[in-house]
Amino acid sequence: MTEENKNIILLTDEIIAEKGNTKKALIPILQAIQDEFNYLPEESLRRLADITAITPADITGVASFYHQFRMQPVGEHMIKICIGTACHVKGAMQVYDAFKRHFNFKDGNITSEDGKYTLDKVSCLGCCTLAPVVQIDDVTYGHVTTDMIETVIHDFESQAGKTGKKKAFRKKGESEFQGEIRIGLGSCCVASGSDDVKKEIEESVVGTGINVQLKHVGCVGMCHQVPLVEVIDENKQSKLYAKVKPQEVRQIIDTHFKPDSLFKRVTNKAYKLLEKVQTDEVWEPVERYSIDVRDEMVSNFLDRQIPIATEHRGIINPLDIEEYKRNDGFQALAEALKLEDEQIIQKVKESGLRGRGGAGFLTGMKWELTKNEAGDKRYLICNGDEGDPGAFMDRMLLESYPYRVIEGMLIAAKAVQADEGYFYIRAEYPLAVNRIRQALINCREQNFLGDNILGFGFSFDIQIYEGAGAFVCGEETALIASIEGNRGFPRVRPPFPAKKGLWGQPTLINNTETFSMVPYIFKEGENQFNQIGTNDSKGTKVFSLAGKVNRGGLIEVPMGITIREIVEEIGGGVQNGKKFKAVQVGGPSGGCIPAELYDTPIDYQSLIEVGAMMGSGGLVVLDETDCMVDIARYFLSFTQDESCGKCTFCRVGTKRMLDILNRITEGTGTKKDLEELKYLADWTQKGSLCNLGKSAPNPIITTLKYFYEEYEAHIEGCCPAGKCAGLIEYSINDECIGCTKCAQKCPVDAIKFEPHKKHEINTELCIKCDACRQVCPVDAVIVR
Amino acid sequence: MIKLKINNKPIEVPEGTSILEAAGKLGIEIPTMCHLEGNEHFTSCMVCLVKDAKTDKLLPSCSIPAAEGMELITDDEVCRESRKAALELLLSEHVGDCEAPCQLVCPAHMNIPLMNRLIAAGNSEKAIEVVKRDIALPAILGRICPAPCEAGCRRKQADEPVSICLLKGFVADEELLGKKTETSVQKTGKKLAIIGAGPAGLAAAFYLNRYGHSVSIYEKNEKAGGDILKIQEEVLPKEVLNAEIDSILNSEIEILFNSGINFEKYQQLKSEFDAVVIATGNTPELAKQWGLQASANGIQINKETYQTSEEKVFAIGNALRPSKLAVRSVGQGKELAQIVDSFFRTDQLNGLHKRFNSKFGKLRQLEVAEYLKESNKTDRLQPGKGKAKGFTKEEAIAEATRCLHCDCRNIESCKLRNLSDEFGAVQKRFQYDERISFQKKFSTQNIIFEPSKCIKCGICVRITQQHQETFGFSFIGRGFDVRVGVPFNETVEKGLEKTAAIVAEKCPTGALAKIDTEEQL
Repeated sequence: MTEENKNIILLTDEIIAEKGNTKKALIPILQAIQDEFNYLPEESLRRLADITAITPADITGVASFYHQFRMQPVGEHMIKICIGTACHVKGAMQVYDAFKRHFNFKDGNITSEDGKYTLDKVSCLGCCTLAPVVQIDDVTYGHVTTDMIETVIHDFESQAGKTGKKKAFRKKGESEFQGEIRIGLGSCCVASGSDDVKKEIEESVVGTGINVQLKHVGCVGMCHQVPLVEVIDENKQSKLYAKVKPQEVRQIIDTHFKPDSLFKRVTNKAYKLLEKVQTDEVWEPVERYSIDVRDEMVSNFLDRQIPIATEHRGIINPLDIEEYKRNDGFQALAEALKLEDEQIIQKVKESGLRGRGGAGFLTGMKWELTKNEAGDKRYLICNGDEGDPGAFMDRMLLESYPYRVIEGMLIAAKAVQADEGYFYIRAEYPLAVNRIRQALINCREQNFLGDNILGFGFSFDIQIYEGAGAFVCGEETALIASIEGNRGFPRVRPPFPAKKGLWGQPTLINNTETFSMVPYIFKEGENQFNQIGTNDSKGTKVFSLAGKVNRGGLIEVPMGITIREIVEEIGGGVQNGKKFKAVQVGGPSGGCIPAELYDTPIDYQSLIEVGAMMGSGGLVVLDETDCMVDIARYFLSFTQDESCGKCTFCRVGTKRMLDILNRITEGTGTKKDLEELKYLADWTQKGSLCNLGKSAPNPIITTLKYFYEEYEAHIEGCCPAGKCAGLIEYSINDECIGCTKCAQKCPVDAIKFEPHKKHEINTELCIKCDACRQVCPVDAVIVR
Repeated sequence: MIKLKINNKPIEVPEGTSILEAAGKLGIEIPTMCHLEGNEHFTSCMVCLVKDAKTDKLLPSCSIPAAEGMELITDDEVCRESRKAALELLLSEHVGDCEAPCQLVCPAHMNIPLMNRLIAAGNSEKAIEVVKRDIALPAILGRICPAPCEAGCRRKQADEPVSICLLKGFVADEELLGKKTETSVQKTGKKLAIIGAGPAGLAAAFYLNRYGHSVSIYEKNEKAGGDILKIQEEVLPKEVLNAEIDSILNSEIEILFNSGINFEKYQQLKSEFDAVVIATGNTPELAKQWGLQASANGIQINKETYQTSEEKVFAIGNALRPSKLAVRSVGQGKELAQIVDSFFRTDQLNGLHKRFNSKFGKLRQLEVAEYLKESNKTDRLQPGKGKAKGFTKEEAIAEATRCLHCDCRNIESCKLRNLSDEFGAVQKRFQYDERISFQKKFSTQNIIFEPSKCIKCGICVRITQQHQETFGFSFIGRGFDVRVGVPFNETVEKGLEKTAAIVAEKCPTGALAKIDTEEQL
């Protein structure tokens, strides 16, 4: 045995000793093995089979099912291109191709020759407002364009090995408290650079004697303005700064806070002056970014919203349990603990709360069914496997309001008499996992979890189960299979998990958002809750608003609000003055609602009537430059990739529909293809085993219904939106000023470098990467 | 007990009974492929969908338990269409042949691969039996046939086709030497007149006689054989010709030589016999005189049934159009016999059912090597004593082992084939994408694994798990690209240490089969 193999076996044994040797531990074991070796070496897997009861068939089946696991080593750094919906409509595939060209990747090879980088697509990083998004290891870049590849890689390499200066933030109480600086640390904020801003604030106040409290708050929801910094000065005046850059921090601080001595003030100023002279960077005064909560733009964004799941947003520190308690946290639990289980269920029933995961089953009913089942043990699961590309509500809720979700789970656990709970969280959400992990520790310390909670004789604890990359595991039976250490195959219902769930026992599964609604019902009363919303859809719904909209972000709105109100009032309309074309609701299970249905109210029934569904709540706004056939193709490629492969209609049906859509978008489709597409959509919907398959055709069905003429146009050889590469041609018109920018950007030399002359595109060479159009200062590049 | 109705028939079943089982108790058969009796359901193939009459929803009957008050429909238009759709999707990625290309291309549809294997095993007796299911004159055709089958033979992609025609001649000669005669069957009482004793007429007579019908052949010449008589001695020795024709014209078939038929005689035949078969060679003018519809090329028939414009009159062979392909006439003789026999028995005249056949066309270069795994690598043999004499036994065995076994081992038992046949599924319908490659994996436990025929039903995965195989079979990957295989790239042998036989038996397609299985013997 080689030295290397010995080492692998040694480390594998250690991992098994830590994680356990049963099938239940299989996924955590594989995750640990991959953490250790950066892939799953066969020697390690064979060892696992040799010394545990887990069979080679189980190991291979599971390891090859989940996208997270790799059977081959990869480069030192992973470049992940987010191809979520919002990123897709903003050109993610062109960015992906640009990276491929940059590294000269051919024939499916995705690791650079020096073994430094591996390129990968990821279905959604949940930073939709920053689209297109690229993540290299744990550094996230937003708004990446095809001409930024070198800059991004250069930036990443210059960051590598650079550790932040030691944190030196002063603690409260050392001198007179002067104010508070709140900084958002949701994933969007972090991705947009809020960590750097945070470091800069820490450094800026060191030695100035300014004593402010730097506070991390969860997602503010205004993801279109990140990083957001809110300053509360000593007079309790609040000022919000948007899109803050690290170099602007000093000026912001100076504006609000005075150093404690004149000398320090002077040196501070002098230093700043020096710094300004030394750098040639010109930047606008920060005032430009300062926004006021009373500004119309902000009030429009916030006024239509009702924060229930997102209560206290931008104010409380996600992990500060004391602060949560000060803001009425755990009061709902205290109320519920005083009630009989039946009374809890009755209250939830009367609130009218329906599941926020998509299908909209009545929550109280689900609790009652679970409670009434006989079983030795009952489980409770929080479904945080938010896999929809273009949706990031669950991530935000888990990251920003962990205690509220836990409180909701506790109330549910009490009602159904569950004593063991699971947080099933997507692997792509490391920040959410960390926050929840810490929140659970904090809850245990204060006996909100554990034995005899708060002395009420009720015991419950929660553990985290990290998903391993499978959209289908958002389906409850597949999720259960996954926790049990199996491939994420759904199974036929009935029996429902309420009857036969995890390990065959009665199990309550609710979505993250559903749980986060529960505390409100007990704090404010079921009648307060059911007065919000419509007849059959009560309360609020959290949406992630992204795509071609001015103000994207996380929003919480009353049920029944119209699409127009969301897009126009909260979202501030379509970006760049373009025309609203459609909104994609509900991700791959949902549909595209066209402009003529702009006034459709958002509730469970109305969405189903127009052919979409609530799904988990992604809203992606599309404008006139978006091709609806391409959108349908995009979603089909997603569901096809995420199909578990168990039943014929989903496994083969989605593939064949994708084949047809590929033909159509490539310009080789026929009328007959359209008929077959309808036929397959119909049968995949009727015949699939689970809801992933049943709803997979929805994007096709709705686009066929509302945008049939676009399909026909493709068949006649034209993509009206100018998106489908096989059907378009790039050219340069007479507006060209001969600036050569396009020629310099063209990766394939399809444009000749001729200064001061009108440029031309050699369409034979052109790969339609769009780089020329993006760089042209006079919009002379035409797509037809 | 739970009460429900299936196809309007009430039934009571214990709680936990699946719809599929409940229907079974009523004698209603619902098709299924992924269901494994006595095992938990898996719900993969989706050909078992039934309709809930109250909601119009489709339910996988293998997995949904019967519930109180259910009203189910198992066989209406919607259910049938769902099955067809599921099958067509499965077929769109199914890479495998049911029948071999040589057999499909043979005008007489002879089971060539099976004949080859029997010859290779030294079993000429059985081999001729197989040949004679489709070809009444194999010794003659073995010498004169241009062998379209060899043009379709896959072996030619590696070197040269198997010498199918001579092999057929070889087994026929073996039989002629043995002077074996047809065993007689019980007479049905039906009488047929065949006009003309050429290859078509002789073949029709041969098979009709086998079915027990009384046959009288009216031949205008003094010898039977028609155009075949014109063939040169060097190609077709007279002794072979005579021996084979004599063996057909056994005591049970009446033949009247020098019996040209005129209009009056034709009318008389029609009234005396239950059916008349025109196998006169190409004589359209004569047919017209008799009042039959005919073009300048030949008699017009219903292409499905060989029926002419007169009800009980049929026409085959060159009477339909001029052709030099005797094997086509011989094939038509066989088909006509089958059609007429079924007509006599059921009183309904139907064409022959064209059974479903999965096909995938030409092999890719790498696939040729896969096929060569189970065949003799030697070059195509020429008979040492010349073509007219044919192969010696040793030569025939050596040549027959060159056959690549293109036909599927589970050709009769395959549920995918049988259901596709039943529901009229079309394989090509959704074949938009490039197909996957064909592989043959052999194991010493008499098992062959052809993964491209797998429908991912998981039956083998479940069985190997149940029997606690060390490696077993596993699903690998997911979605459309999911495949079934042995973990860690181990061999099929390692995967099936305990379960080889049972897995091969339960596989619903030909993906896992016993190497030596012969379902068409």
